Amino acid sequence: MTRRSTPSSEMVANRTTPPLEPSLSIARERAGTGETQMTVHNLYIFDRNGNCLYYNEWNRKKQAGISKDEEYKLMYGMLFSIRSFVSKMSPLDMKEGFLSFQTSRYRLHYYETPSGLKFVMNTDLSVSNARETLQHIYSNLYVELIVKNPVCSSAPSLDSEVFSSRLDAFIRALPYYSPRAA
Amino acid sequence: MADEALFEFLHMEIVSHIYKEQQSGKAEMDNKDRAVCVSVLEGMGFRVGQGLIERLTRDSPSFKDELDIMKFICKDFWTKVFRRQVDNLRTNHQGTYVLQDNKFAMLTQLSSGKQYLDQAPKYLAFSCGVVRGALSNLGMESVVTAEVSVMPSCKFQVVIQKL
Repeated sequence: MTRRSTPSSEMVANRTTPPLEPSLSIARERAGTGETQMTVHNLYIFDRNGNCLYYNEWNRKKQAGISKDEEYKLMYGMLFSIRSFVSKMSPLDMKEGFLSFQTSRYRLHYYETPSGLKFVMNTDLSVSNARETLQHIYSNLYVELIVKNPVCSSAPSLDSEVFSSRLDAFIRALPYYSPRAA
Repeated sequence: MADEALFEFLHMEIVSHIYKEQQSGKAEMDNKDRAVCVSVLEGMGFRVGQGLIERLTRDSPSFKDELDIMKFICKDFWTKVFRRQVDNLRTNHQGTYVLQDNKFAMLTQLSSGKQYLDQAPKYLAFSCGVVRGALSNLGMESVVTAEVSVMPSCKFQVVIQKL
């Protein structure tokens, strides 16, 4: 798996982390590839204690092979380790820290809010920066429909149907989303 | 007008505080407790409505009749308080009015459909009180109730009490 943290966006000065040289790369073989289309694969939302509050998938062809709970724990644990690794090994002062990693088939985008909420989205490789998308999901969907929902915010559960449907509609409306041909 | 989020969060907390207080010590809330909570919230809204109407009508001319007052409530008052106008006003000309708001400000974040329908009345009690207080200071005693079938649309029923 090639790991590379993309430098923080288009701003001049600081690169937060240098690209890592892959010491080992595992080639992912897939017979009969066909076109890679732009798409969003799935989305996780974690709270600051590591509980997965929300998960949805749009175009996931391969499951992880473990139960959902284990998958969430694995994801959270990995993110936690990567963030501390990145900040420790950074040769410069850190600004945003860990932003994303990519493999030969997909890219994982990460956004953390000041309140400790973590948004993780897997997309295909054509999406270089999904930070604004994740920020939009947070401020326009999460804050509006969950935080301001008196029933949902006392017990942090994301049962709100209007949240799920608006999020789904938003993802499907993204310029880089297209449902893959089956 | 100040940022809407301030009042929304305050309102959420008021409702949850009142319900928690009423329930303190008991395992379940019975209907009597719920009625007490609703009337406390409505009473708070009543005082707020009274004050608001004094402020909002200080520059307006006096109203010709009941219907004129109700139109004022549906347009100017609703705009100032709930940031939109009432969509539909119906009356039987005998003192009963039904105000329909299809995107009621207190309900938009709750759901857009049937989810959480049983929780909706809690968040409408205060607003009913506001309307009743406003009408009271305009000289009309009334009874205001609200009903919801599909959120965020809701109907307020105002029955004017003839003395």
